[in-house]
Amino acid sequence: MLKIKLLKNFSWPLKIATQEIEITRLYPEKMMELPAAERGIHELDATTCIGCSSCARVCPNNCIEMVHFKFGSPLKNKKMQFPQIDFGRCMFCGLCVDECPVECLKMGKKVIMAGWERKDIIKGPEFLATKRFSAKEVTDLEAEGKRIAAEKAAAKKAADAKKAAEAKNASKEGAADANGAAKKKAAATEAKPKEGGAA
Amino acid sequence: MTIASEVLSSIQSAFPGAVLDSRVESDRRLWATIDSNKILDVCKHLSSKHNFDHYSGSAGVDWIARKEMEVVEIMASHGAHQVVAMLKIKTPRENPSVKSLTGLYWNANWYEREIWEMFGINFEGHPELYPLLLSDELMGAWPWRKDYKGYPDLTTGERAVEITTPDGYTQYRIPPTPAEVEAGTVVLERPKYPSFREREELEIKSDSEMIMHLGPQHAMVPGPFLLDILVEGERVKKAFLDVGYIHKGIEKIMENRTWLQGITYTDRMCYVASLSNNECYCGAVEKILGLEVPQRAQYIRVILEELSRIQSHLIGTGEFLTLVAGVGYAPWQYMIMDREKIISLIESVTGARLTHTFVRFGGVRNDLPEGFAEQCKKVLPYMKSRTEEFIELFAQDPIYSLRMENIGSIPAETAKRMGCAGRVLRAAGVAYDMRKEDPILVYPELDFKVVTGTRGDSADRIDVTLREILESIHIIEQCLDRIPSGPIKTEAKIPKKVPAGEAYYRVEDPRGEMGMYVISDGGDKPYRVKVRGPFYATFQTLTPLLEGVYIADAVAIAGSMDGCPSEADR
Repeated sequence: MLKIKLLKNFSWPLKIATQEIEITRLYPEKMMELPAAERGIHELDATTCIGCSSCARVCPNNCIEMVHFKFGSPLKNKKMQFPQIDFGRCMFCGLCVDECPVECLKMGKKVIMAGWERKDIIKGPEFLATKRFSAKEVTDLEAEGKRIAAEKAAAKKAADAKKAAEAKNASKEGAADANGAAKKKAAATEAKPKEGGAA
Repeated sequence: MTIASEVLSSIQSAFPGAVLDSRVESDRRLWATIDSNKILDVCKHLSSKHNFDHYSGSAGVDWIARKEMEVVEIMASHGAHQVVAMLKIKTPRENPSVKSLTGLYWNANWYEREIWEMFGINFEGHPELYPLLLSDELMGAWPWRKDYKGYPDLTTGERAVEITTPDGYTQYRIPPTPAEVEAGTVVLERPKYPSFREREELEIKSDSEMIMHLGPQHAMVPGPFLLDILVEGERVKKAFLDVGYIHKGIEKIMENRTWLQGITYTDRMCYVASLSNNECYCGAVEKILGLEVPQRAQYIRVILEELSRIQSHLIGTGEFLTLVAGVGYAPWQYMIMDREKIISLIESVTGARLTHTFVRFGGVRNDLPEGFAEQCKKVLPYMKSRTEEFIELFAQDPIYSLRMENIGSIPAETAKRMGCAGRVLRAAGVAYDMRKEDPILVYPELDFKVVTGTRGDSADRIDVTLREILESIHIIEQCLDRIPSGPIKTEAKIPKKVPAGEAYYRVEDPRGEMGMYVISDGGDKPYRVKVRGPFYATFQTLTPLLEGVYIADAVAIAGSMDGCPSEADR
């Protein structure tokens, strides 16, 4: 009886050996097929990003920092601030993707990010942006932005032709205010990662 | 069936004036503030008159604004009724001290030790008030108090001073700098207690006894914990357990993160059960917010949690076989191969293989992808046939049964008294499953039975685990047939600030009963999150179980509990 049982047990590995098995050991030669929902390395659509830094605020590990990047849309993202992600700290939770109001940040199927040094895995918009404008398009957009601004100013001037002097003063004040607010915001984003590091 | 209001009126009539404040949340939840002098009598009354034989844990809360501390005792019953009584005891913040329940409930030991080391609340009458999770360096800092100033910077070794102890060992100490003393980040006065090594050496009575170390790094353990066994010949005389090697302080971290960010940290408690942990935290917050989860989202949650249970059981069993068989990774491979199919299913929905961060307040992150049901219908019958094969394989193998049967067996009464959870409890024959006891989501509508064993030994635990996989497959099949279409997230807007309140929510983790006690003070961060982990409860019973067994069986017993020290330490 015992012998039969033991023999039966030996039949099992033989059965397994004939099966074709797919596991990750095929890895360097053949990548596993990843599902559409895979949460891999982020993909940034720099043409639509508005630089609101919602992603940086919601990140539990404070791994997102807003940095300057040239090839975005100056119309939508006036300060040209785009997310830079420290993949050494990122845990791929996807909260930043859920939080993005314009859906410009997505997580793709790319998962390889090895580097020789720690700073190699801090990936800026240069690396993340899958969609971006060329330098010429950016200058065109900037020119268009200037044109729109000029048009607006002209329209304003035409409308407020009578109170031109007052309007000028008001716009100067407004501009000064906006500058002040921008500085404060920049300071806050700079301070954030430091806090995270300490915690 | 006893309901919460009956329990409350019974306490009030038996001890007039003992209940200072009370709230009956539902038929299953009772919140009561008990006079700290009468807590022992109330607990005795509850356990003798109302079958509250399950001490489910306790939580400390530091109410710094009210200048008091609270200990919340969580009491439940092993199936006699479904009431969970949350009994609060208040104590002043200066010299906090409450009565210990270790005399009534054996398993109160660890919970009270944890509160003592984290909050500095003294427990009168506790037999061994030694640190459990914290290192000796941090004792006296009381890190989970709200006015804790933070760790001193010990990251550089340059400050370390070499000291030679009287025994001839070399020790390194890092003396505090004056700046740190001023900032209050270093501990100047530590409570006095014998160290772990001293406590061990006290037990050595004769020359024939010696102490063997299993761990913190050992092939037996799935995570780091130190198991020292005092042996005489081949017999274990006494076992000592030291945990806290991967204490991450997740409960404290979550107090410093927003409500939404907290979900990501629950994943990291135990990565093979991260969906259950997500569910537990989100469920508790949903309870405070009063959110309704759409039907489809509920079904998706159930499907994924059951899939997650299957893969957790497979990895647990595979790991266990590796430990006991001692033949390298051959048995592990079979389980991992099957688990890969389940993981791929989960990944196709959540996008991550282990740490899913999938459950959200009032819904789930993604909808099921197209063709998920077909994929499931391919994988599940295969899993079923494989699991049946595994069960048969274990049942017929003579070597396995010689090695496992009647090893580390716990009778049902002992298992209840020791407060074991999950498979250890169910293998002993106690049908205690949160999906039946405290039903959440759509579990009440589903047909499944609680798998129990008879002997409560190591073989039974594995058998129960494997048969639970079959039940899970049955549940998923029902869900796939019934899942309605509709939204996957609630339409209600989820506020950034959660209104003040508290909730205790229980789910059935792959390892047993898991509960989270969440308190909100109306801010954008949780005021306190207490995790009542299932393995923490089971882990405690390891030391008494090991007394009197052979050394080789220690591995079989510890392995069959499907341990996850990461979740026990948090």
